[in-house]
Amino acid sequence: MGLEVDIIFKIAGVGIVVAFLHTILDQVGKKEYAQWVTLFGFIYILFMVASIVDNLFQKIKSVFLFQG
Amino acid sequence: MMKLIGAVLIIVATTWAGFEASRHLTERPRQLRQLKSALQSLEAEIMYGHTPLHEAARRLSDQLSKPLSWFFESFAKKLTDSETTVKDAWEESLKEIWKMTALKQGEFEIMKQFGETLGRHDRLSQQKQIMLTLTHLEREEADAHDRQVKYERMVKSLGFLSGLLLIILLL
Repeated sequence: MGLEVDIIFKIAGVGIVVAFLHTILDQVGKKEYAQWVTLFGFIYILFMVASIVDNLFQKIKSVFLFQG
Repeated sequence: MMKLIGAVLIIVATTWAGFEASRHLTERPRQLRQLKSALQSLEAEIMYGHTPLHEAARRLSDQLSKPLSWFFESFAKKLTDSETTVKDAWEESLKEIWKMTALKQGEFEIMKQFGETLGRHDRLSQQKQIMLTLTHLEREEADAHDRQVKYERMVKSLGFLSGLLLIILLL
């Protein structure tokens, strides 16, 4: 359980920092960079969540289909 | 414990980089202003004092503060010590000193062009050249000021936030 909580906090942290970066870059009129930063943050989180979900599916498989 | 030390080091490094960049941005208008006042003093020395160029440069280097005073010092030294033209001495001193200033390529070209005219005409056309250079520098200063207002705060917070992001990603 400790791992899951850790990852939630990590996602929250990345979200906050990326949001700040977006706001600051937006304020000085660098819209294109702001969008790139947000996009990369999103992609990073997506990969992390995907690997966790993959983990979950493997577990479900191993429980219900009796596969390694 | 090691992780914590690493995190602190990363934060300190990126924040420092941000502050360094913002210092660069504040230095540029200040040095441009100094450069302008230096040219005005040079004009006064030429027009009203009839001072020889190496003498004028030495006086200027006494008046000005750090990076620009080095420029006039080395210019005066080159003029008195070695057999060279004013144009070459000016350009060489410019190149020597340029890395230590916060100034950009635009100002370098302006000053180089000014050096080519220095000491080749009578006093009146020399004064006109100085005026021309001053207007060019004025334009650059306005530009530098705009950039300072726009980017100074951004660069600072960008340094800190990118450090924070890096730490979270590496955790």
